[in-house]
Amino acid sequence: MKTLMKKALLSAAAISVSATLALAADYPDRPIGVAVSYGAGGATDFQARIVTMVAGNEDILGQPIYILNKPGAGGRKGWNWFATEAEADGYTMSAYNIPHFVAQSIKGGVKYSAASFEPIANWGADPAVVIVGKDSKFNTMQDLIDHAKANPGKTTTSGAGLFVGHHIAALQIEKACACKLAYIPTKGGGAAAMKAVIAGEVLAGVNNLSDAFRAREAGNVKILGVADLERNEFIKDVPTLKETGLDVDNSSVNFRGLMVKKGTPQAVIDKLAAQVPLMFAHARVTKRMKAGGSPMKIMTRDEVKAMWAARETTLKDLLAGL
Amino acid sequence: MTNSRLQHVIPGALILAIALLVTYLSFTEEPAEAFLFPRIISIAFVGLAVWNFIRAAGGMAKVGRGLAMNDAKNLMPGLIVMLILVFWAAKALGFYISATLAFFTVYSIYDPAPHSSTKDWIKRAVITAAFMAAIYALFALLLKVQTPRGMFI
Amino acid sequence: MEFLSYFGGVFEPIALMLLFAGTVGGLILGATPGLSPTMAVALLIPFTFHLSPTQGLILLGAAYTSTVAGGAVSAILLKIPGAPANIATALDGNEMAKRGEGARALHLSFLASGVGGVIGVLLLIFLTPLLAQWALKFGPSHLFWIAILGVTVIGSLDSKSFVKGLLSGCIGLWLSTIGTDDIMGADRFIFVDALSGGITIIPALIGLFAIPQVLDMFAKGRVSAVIDTIDVPRYKVFDSVKELTCSLRALSIGTVIGSIIGLIPGVGGQIAGLVAYDQARNFSPQKDKFGTGHPEGVIAAESANNAMVGPSLVPLLTLSIPGSPTAAVLLGGLLIHGIFPGSDIFDKHPEVVWTFINSMLLGQILMVIFGIYTAAWAARIAKAPIPILAAGVLVLALFGSYSVGQSMGDVQIMLALGIGMYILEKFGFSAAPLVLGLILGPIAGDYFNNGSMIAAAQDGPWVYFFTGPLNIILIAMVVASIAYSFWTNMLRASFTKVPNSEAAK
Repeated sequence: MKTLMKKALLSAAAISVSATLALAADYPDRPIGVAVSYGAGGATDFQARIVTMVAGNEDILGQPIYILNKPGAGGRKGWNWFATEAEADGYTMSAYNIPHFVAQSIKGGVKYSAASFEPIANWGADPAVVIVGKDSKFNTMQDLIDHAKANPGKTTTSGAGLFVGHHIAALQIEKACACKLAYIPTKGGGAAAMKAVIAGEVLAGVNNLSDAFRAREAGNVKILGVADLERNEFIKDVPTLKETGLDVDNSSVNFRGLMVKKGTPQAVIDKLAAQVPLMFAHARVTKRMKAGGSPMKIMTRDEVKAMWAARETTLKDLLAGL
Repeated sequence: MTNSRLQHVIPGALILAIALLVTYLSFTEEPAEAFLFPRIISIAFVGLAVWNFIRAAGGMAKVGRGLAMNDAKNLMPGLIVMLILVFWAAKALGFYISATLAFFTVYSIYDPAPHSSTKDWIKRAVITAAFMAAIYALFALLLKVQTPRGMFI
Repeated sequence: MEFLSYFGGVFEPIALMLLFAGTVGGLILGATPGLSPTMAVALLIPFTFHLSPTQGLILLGAAYTSTVAGGAVSAILLKIPGAPANIATALDGNEMAKRGEGARALHLSFLASGVGGVIGVLLLIFLTPLLAQWALKFGPSHLFWIAILGVTVIGSLDSKSFVKGLLSGCIGLWLSTIGTDDIMGADRFIFVDALSGGITIIPALIGLFAIPQVLDMFAKGRVSAVIDTIDVPRYKVFDSVKELTCSLRALSIGTVIGSIIGLIPGVGGQIAGLVAYDQARNFSPQKDKFGTGHPEGVIAAESANNAMVGPSLVPLLTLSIPGSPTAAVLLGGLLIHGIFPGSDIFDKHPEVVWTFINSMLLGQILMVIFGIYTAAWAARIAKAPIPILAAGVLVLALFGSYSVGQSMGDVQIMLALGIGMYILEKFGFSAAPLVLGLILGPIAGDYFNNGSMIAAAQDGPWVYFFTGPLNIILIAMVVASIAYSFWTNMLRASFTKVPNSEAAK
């Protein structure tokens, strides 16, 4: 009886091992989900839908990718879910936003850190920009900084939330100018923060370049500076914050890409890491992204790993004093 | 104290206890900024819970019949199926298998038709299959919702 | 009248086909529990990749209008509101369906949706530039007061006892604060792990409305001669139209309130139906009939939640600010084709925008025709034997609440809330005020925090929240609303000494 039991157990184990191997070889044999930690219609959701639209092509993954929105608490809800509840089988991926989730894990109170996830590839980089309403008395970064120095803590500046790219940019500006802004995290993400600037509820705002570019096209805002190392091709006339004399680097640039959970079979990770950058670079994807005013930056798995590690160090320094 | 009054006092007391717990947590947990709004709510919550409790204790609460023993006895089997489905079967057996079983069980338990005739059992099986096929077509084929697969599908 | 010259675009064969597909598909998606209009429209976005901008927007426009109306179908027949917009519809609509008047309720709901929807879109066509500036006037302090105005409705909403109504609302407000808070990221009241993501509104809706109803069916036991399965009479469309014209008061209250609330970004259509329902009752001479299957309740709620569709797009089209989650998804649909909304969109891309608006207008009318055509057939669902209905609603609740976020936690919360609500209902509490609290809690809380932060950098909370004409008007409305419901519910009751226990039965 005992040996019989043993045999049964062994064969069960053998079946499950071979099942795992078969899983990796056939992967993917059904649609893959991508969890987006922000609401439908937000910039991350919108871009994720575009960059995954050719996944079903035979030369990419051969299976479609569908989007799963898990908005809440500045992205924490979605990533908490991904780190704890999702299965590590490669059929559920998540979109990451750097610096958001790294900053949140440094700040604590969440169930994930950079070590909980395995990056696959990066599709976009959306720098933070400083904006003011179209009728604002501020025309340059200098005007804004002068006002902040004269009225410490009274220069209301909207952004999408706490410990997201916009907040990091605001913190870096405060550090560089040795002045105090009043950072207002809005409910409803970048769109609500933008509305607060256009409606004049706040004096200034930090927002996504892609959204600010559109708002400027529509004649609603002025863009004063870009928190990046070089000027952006969408808005060539706007100086970087470095050029305006503020020591702000590209730590706040919002990198977006795909990741899987730690523990996903290596064969699955390898396949995704090889195929996903091809998907991002597909001509139909780049055309739509350009039409939508979304800056792209395709990075491979190794490049993303290095970028994550670099961000973690700079963010730890920046957030240490808070 | 009449039976109906007791029926209202117990939930009244429970709600009051929850309200007090919420208030206690709102005023002690950190960070204070995040609990500013819960504090405002909890004060109103306690106030209303006290008012409700006083009405219940004074026999002034008359709306609602309360729970009847007969109802509880009737709904117990269905409730147990629900709990097993949601807390265990859906994930362990897969959504479609467990939902089929749950549908069939609930339908069979509450179907007034005789449980001895084969014809009625076949009717139940056919209706279950038809309903689940419709659910499968809607959620899996049309909307492409990926449900837990469990041991089967 | 510029929009008339672009009507041709809608009548091209492909466009017309898409309009049909969008309307019919939208009705089916809308009627599926757990699928809100936002998710339905998001699901359709990939299809528009293959279409021209105009064609894509025809599909999205038609789908948006019909999903909002489609939500009424499951609300009326199964008492599962497809989205927050349909909660108020379920209150009277389901009672009507239980009486065997499902077809009548569906007719009225589609007709009222159509009237409200067409008027809303006409507002969008004629008053957009005017309304755009108005929509921007609402800052955090005003939105906070609007949410509070919504809270004041709680006490009188679908509740036989004033105290219990308020208490239900309070429980809802508290439930809404569970989970990680949106701005600070702090954990609040997380007693079990499944709660760490907070309570998602759509699974909560399914649990609070559908589960108590399933349990009620269980409680009846193995009933052989079922009284509830009365014959569903075929209902003549002409009679429904006549009935609608006789209920002009409810219809106009619904349309006006829906249009106004739809315009305000950030509050959205979630509460339009409930507020309109409450006001229609306040102004009705037959107050007591509301909640017992009164057609006017369905008319007010449905005309409001479709009237909000047109105006909710005003801030999107002119300022590029999406006023509601669905508008945000539609913004994505515009952007992938390189169309940037802004004050000049009507000059730059008139053919796209006007065709889109026209498709919503035609979509409304198609939706009414198609909806009425299928109503008699759909109403048979309510006639199904109780055991099948109970089992079916249970399975739908499982799938619906799971498909929102593909999370077992959501399903467990759904069931727990449902069982809790069943018990509470037995003691005279009701689901509608609780849900209203659940919806308004985050709105009020976040705008309160947001406003407090801005106030702290300016002249302090007193000045920020209590001065300025718009604040004062809103505060006056809050005070009037509280005074009114207090007067009607407390004083009148004690003067007339209505035996409550009789009314409850």
